Amino acid sequence: MKIAVCAKNEGLKSEVDNRFGRAENYVIYDTEEGNAVTIENSAKNEPSGAGGSATRLLSENKVEVVLAPELGPKAVDAIRAFGIEAYRFNDVKTVEDAINKYKDGSLEKFITSTTNSKHGLHRA
Amino acid sequence: MRIAVLSGKGGTGKTTIATNLAANKKNSILIDTDVEEPNSHIFMKPNIEENIAVKVNYPVVDTDKCTLCGKCGTFCRYNAILPAKNNVLVFEEICHDCGGCELVCPTGAISYKQREIGKIHCGKTKYDINMKYGDLNVGEVSGVRIIEKLKDMTKNEEVVFIDSPPGTSCATVAAIEDIDFAVIVTEPTPFGVSDMKMVVEMLRRMNIKFGVVINKAGLGDDEIYDYCKSENIDILEEIPFDEKIAKLYASGDLLSYEIESYKEKIMTILSKIA
Repeated sequence: MKIAVCAKNEGLKSEVDNRFGRAENYVIYDTEEGNAVTIENSAKNEPSGAGGSATRLLSENKVEVVLAPELGPKAVDAIRAFGIEAYRFNDVKTVEDAINKYKDGSLEKFITSTTNSKHGLHRA
Repeated sequence: MRIAVLSGKGGTGKTTIATNLAANKKNSILIDTDVEEPNSHIFMKPNIEENIAVKVNYPVVDTDKCTLCGKCGTFCRYNAILPAKNNVLVFEEICHDCGGCELVCPTGAISYKQREIGKIHCGKTKYDINMKYGDLNVGEVSGVRIIEKLKDMTKNEEVVFIDSPPGTSCATVAAIEDIDFAVIVTEPTPFGVSDMKMVVEMLRRMNIKFGVVINKAGLGDDEIYDYCKSENIDILEEIPFDEKIAKLYASGDLLSYEIESYKEKIMTILSKIA
């Protein structure tokens, strides 16, 4: 199974990114192989809907689980529609820490976004 | 004849100039295309006779016809339509109503529904001319459709003054498309000059004739004068930085109806442009 983590740099030692749709990179960890690859987030500079576009990218990369600090309302809808599970991390420094916490079962699953607005920040 | 008043920088005095020009030109009409923050009506005090809803299209996907090929999602640069695993998500509030997804759909699965993004208010002002202003709903990404409708509704009028949005965005381009003359209102400050340069570049690319009104003259520095001279830009008039104007503005009055010397300045601008 492939787990994607929002990352500022490359590899398991990278600092986690504090955004999902506009994260710099995603580190994709393969639980069967035990290895990680880093992909650049092609959606990070989209004019709008970065969360949906990023979700599509992750789905194309066969990702089944996403670890993120927060998801916007559109991203939550998108993650659900692509059949991906998302878990929230906080107080985590590196990608590796986030993955370990996921393995421990200590991360909370995203059901809905914690932001109140209908969708995103409404920025064009 | 269509004359737009624009600025680049916000707060230089677009509305002050646009409302005073219109109020001193018989049989003209004023349209406020700064639909994100319209304020001409505060000065013109129109008696609103008509409110028109402005609607835009957003896509609806027929799941029986859709094959989830993904072409609509790849085409949409705003990610407003997102083909997922078993269905297609539509984020209608970020759709720019371009119609592209319907064109690229190979199975004809996309049709459109309409939703309201704002209104156009029309009425006769206390200065005996008509005005219309657009008002974009809070949270909407683009007021371009409202601006286009304002322009279309006034296309047969003899003289139209257009209070434009600040900046050089899509909304400003929509407001000044097909105009005959542009009045740039600027102020002699570094920000005023810097943002005006972008406006000049935009107007030159669109082949629109223009002149400059320097508002708040006496404030700041001389860079604006040097720039206009070096670029051969016509300075139509200067309006001094004056506390009396600020007071009139703050109380919602038109300075040309209150102070004779400013009426003369407005008439000078009108004589040069309309």
